Amino acid sequence: MSQSSATSSVGQGAALQSSSARVNRHRADWRGWKFMWPFAVVFVFVFIVPIVYAIYISFFQKKMIGGTVFVGLANYARLFGDTQFWSSVVRVALFTIVQVPIMLCLAALMALALDSMKLHGTKFFRISTFLPYAVPAVVSTMIWGFVYGAKYGLVGSLNDLLGTNIDVLAPSVLLASIGNIVTWEFTGYNMLIFYSSLSTIPHSLYEAASIDGASEWQIVKSIKLPELRGSLAITVIFSIIGSFQLFNEPSILQNMVPGNAITTYYTPNMYAYNLSFTGNQSNYAAALAIVMAVITMAIAYAVQLNSMKEQMK
Amino acid sequence: MSESMSLKEQEKAAKRAEKARQKRVELDEKAERKRAEKAGFANVNNPRRSKLLTFVCALFAVYCLFPFVYLMINATKTQADFTSTFGMGFGRSFALWDNIVTVFTYQDGIFARWLLNTLLYVVIGAGGATLLSIMGGYALAKFRFPGRKLVFAIIIGAISVPGIALAVPQFLLFAKLGLTNTPWAMIIPSLVSTFGLYLMWIFSDQAVPDELLEAARVDGAGEMRTFFQISLPLLAPGIVTTALFTIVATWNNYFLPLIMLKDADWYPLTIGLNQWKDQASTAGGQAIQNLVITGSLITIIPLVIAFLCLQKYWQSGLAAGAVKE
Amino acid sequence: MRNVKKVIAATAAVATLVGLAACGSGSNGSSADTDTDNAKGEIVFWGWGNGIKETIAAFEKANPGITVKYNSTGTAADTATALQNAISAGKGAPDVVMLEDPTVTQFAVDGSLIDLSQFGADKYESDFAAGPWNKLQYGGKPYALPIDSGPEVFFYNKAIFDKAGVDGESIKTWDDYYEAAKKIHALGDNYYITNNSGDANAYQPFTAQAWQAGANPWKVDGENITINMTEDAGMQKYIDFQQKLIDEGLVNTNIANWSDDWNRSLNDGTTASLIIGGWMPTNLESGAPDQKGNWRVAPLPQWSEGDQVSAEDGGSALAIPEQSKNKAAAYKFLEFLTHGDGAQVMADNGTFPSLKKILNDSDFQSAENEYFGGQQVNKVLCEAANLPVTKFQYLPYNPYAQSQYGDAIAPAYQGKITLKEAMANYAKLLGDYGKQQGYNVTVK
Repeated sequence: MSQSSATSSVGQGAALQSSSARVNRHRADWRGWKFMWPFAVVFVFVFIVPIVYAIYISFFQKKMIGGTVFVGLANYARLFGDTQFWSSVVRVALFTIVQVPIMLCLAALMALALDSMKLHGTKFFRISTFLPYAVPAVVSTMIWGFVYGAKYGLVGSLNDLLGTNIDVLAPSVLLASIGNIVTWEFTGYNMLIFYSSLSTIPHSLYEAASIDGASEWQIVKSIKLPELRGSLAITVIFSIIGSFQLFNEPSILQNMVPGNAITTYYTPNMYAYNLSFTGNQSNYAAALAIVMAVITMAIAYAVQLNSMKEQMK
Repeated sequence: MSESMSLKEQEKAAKRAEKARQKRVELDEKAERKRAEKAGFANVNNPRRSKLLTFVCALFAVYCLFPFVYLMINATKTQADFTSTFGMGFGRSFALWDNIVTVFTYQDGIFARWLLNTLLYVVIGAGGATLLSIMGGYALAKFRFPGRKLVFAIIIGAISVPGIALAVPQFLLFAKLGLTNTPWAMIIPSLVSTFGLYLMWIFSDQAVPDELLEAARVDGAGEMRTFFQISLPLLAPGIVTTALFTIVATWNNYFLPLIMLKDADWYPLTIGLNQWKDQASTAGGQAIQNLVITGSLITIIPLVIAFLCLQKYWQSGLAAGAVKE
Repeated sequence: MRNVKKVIAATAAVATLVGLAACGSGSNGSSADTDTDNAKGEIVFWGWGNGIKETIAAFEKANPGITVKYNSTGTAADTATALQNAISAGKGAPDVVMLEDPTVTQFAVDGSLIDLSQFGADKYESDFAAGPWNKLQYGGKPYALPIDSGPEVFFYNKAIFDKAGVDGESIKTWDDYYEAAKKIHALGDNYYITNNSGDANAYQPFTAQAWQAGANPWKVDGENITINMTEDAGMQKYIDFQQKLIDEGLVNTNIANWSDDWNRSLNDGTTASLIIGGWMPTNLESGAPDQKGNWRVAPLPQWSEGDQVSAEDGGSALAIPEQSKNKAAAYKFLEFLTHGDGAQVMADNGTFPSLKKILNDSDFQSAENEYFGGQQVNKVLCEAANLPVTKFQYLPYNPYAQSQYGDAIAPAYQGKITLKEAMANYAKLLGDYGKQQGYNVTVK
């Protein structure tokens, strides 16, 4: 078990299926539903029914004059020509490409550092990295907003001190500043997942490596990194889904950023929110949600597939 | 026939012995690891601690912790000091105690109500989510039932749909059932934790040996009894981990109550605090950022304490292989 | 477990009450029950602001048999959203709802609110200030009664004005204002006469100032809308003036209204004045505590000397959703708060009234405000509230118009395009939306 777990592939779904296919191989029965149904019932009620309903209403349009009419695929057609929508998609895609790797690298490095046992006070570092996860997005965004202020925030105090004129809320760097908030919030969470998978490596492997005269770096490279890959797929998928749904941080920050730099269509989720709740266009927002779901799934699937291929080399 | 039976039995016995051996090795390794940790090194090769690495990590720890320091410092300020003094420095007066008292007495002490609501949502919502995750994860790992293969795909698909846009259909559905503005609007959606299900799936797969289940079935135990008496105790570390994640998710939930609840008596802390924050941006409203900051601090404290207390458990829960593969 | 039982019990109790109330009003046939004298039961009220709890207590004391369940719904935008949601869901709307004045028509158009003239509210026209009253009419009928109002006035920080050598009292026209803006900015790079970043929160002051300039950017006639954001004479006057302030760097375009920075800049004096609604004193007192004694209020500068033109900024009103099951009790409460004794309680708790009776009350007017250095603030505000207003129409989709204002207009305040170009973009955006909603829109 130990050997194989350290080197096996990322295809969790596949691995799981093969491993539990051993159980009850001869009887494809319904007993599992005894345990599955409570989750399934709530899941269907909370997710599936609303999704089906969203698909249904995406074929309609509600007008202030004329009421609700069936419009077929018109909402989807409009969406494909909607530059605001696509600019928001590009923005979160850019965010994902930059922020997710930085956050996961930081998390992995921190996990490796903690696992190396070379730190003074490992426990302190472990808990301090994880603590930001306990802070609600409302609170963490508010704090960072106060920090960021170019005039009255900590950045402002720094500017006064150094005579500089740094503005981290300027439109050109704003996305990076939001990235920093998200990184702060979720690095610890991902670190913990990495760290846990590292700590499952059996000690005998290190011993064997040391008998062979392997250096610290070689141990990291040939034992620890392959182990991290296993948990990488799940953290990547959850991070991608998370950043494509970016909403809390920019919408809470909106009022703190000068010059309307955070528009109402800054991210697809904010756009959907404004369409639904101030624009009275729930039908169009539903179409947007469906398209975003397809895009997100496609990317998550592609990334997972990619990392699987890498594993097979 | 009988020969084959005995062969099978032998096979089984051998398997069991092998499993037991593996378990012993694992335990030895764990003990060894612990010894190594106590002695201060993990790798036989490299027993020394690194000052440089510690320093680099300390920088990262400062990054992680300084917003907490900011929150603590500013919780000691009055509203006037908050708007006019340096963010990382103390104010002209030390008003922490006053702020705490005001937080709990402002608007007839509604903050305490929000705190209790949050606890209610966490106990029922996160507790229920943990239970459903355990059962679902166990089912996925240990049974091969029709539709099982679809589950992973459906879940990944469903969580890819932007929650915000689902909010409208979700809201309409709940409204039709008369559930909005009741605690159920907050609790029912909290019962689903896809990450929790995933954790428990992986964990059950590894922590509950199939042989044990087979043996129990041979003894004539029903599935439910087997689950509660045999599997559940083995799943304990994973349960604590899952509970931790569902608790955090429920405690910090913002968007769901924002649209589902309009009755301040049922608000959780996040929405209540946000409403206090918005008060500064309402015509005729009063800025009470000192209360927002102090309230935020009070909101975080229970979770931090839970983290610290449960640290030992969630570590081992994840470490037992929960999140890998 | 006990909690759960309580929850169930409470839910059941509420359901029963609602059910009973429904039976009560249903017995009278299809038209709404207008017999307010015998109204009883529980009503739900959504709103925000100060003094509500005190007013409800006074109402319940005066009207035994009616209980009011108050849900504080946060901000005006949150409340409108919540009402919209309840309307889409077909249930869940309150019996009485507080709305920002310009939002009322949107809900009146599709029949979500009831016409209050069936209760005789149309008789009250002369009792209320004209500004708020006019905004609440749809098809010539009142769909809400004003609970407060926001006559646009000029708040300034006297200490800073003195330092810059400007006499705030002497600012009578927008030209005077422009000259003062230059002197204040001369105090230092940080000092500005005011802030304006063209974000969504600047929408209300924009409509108020354009209104005062006599602009008619939106003309609504049933299903026909004419949008004229750039060619209208009043709009041109407004745009040219704002453009001058932007070009010469006389307004702080980096601070948005209602942001934390805004409070701080008011508090340290670097934002030296505001053109805003008459409800601002409460916000100033808590948002800028260090400037206690320095602020003053004056009438709005005029476009030509000797004019006496006012405008409205904000202000809210109470309406009854069609969904209400107890409209008679709801109206009784609504009337108490807006026109009855409750209006006085609200005013005593810091709400700026729209009821002439209170506005013209000498005690109310002569109250001295210490934050304003002992000035009789209400006197200035009441004079502004009593000024005549020209006709000004909002779009029937005002919340959308407000949310898009920042996206369209902010680039002008960032100097990327001219304000005229920004207004043209904005007009197109609003026109497209109107067409999607089924209106006949002409964009000029």
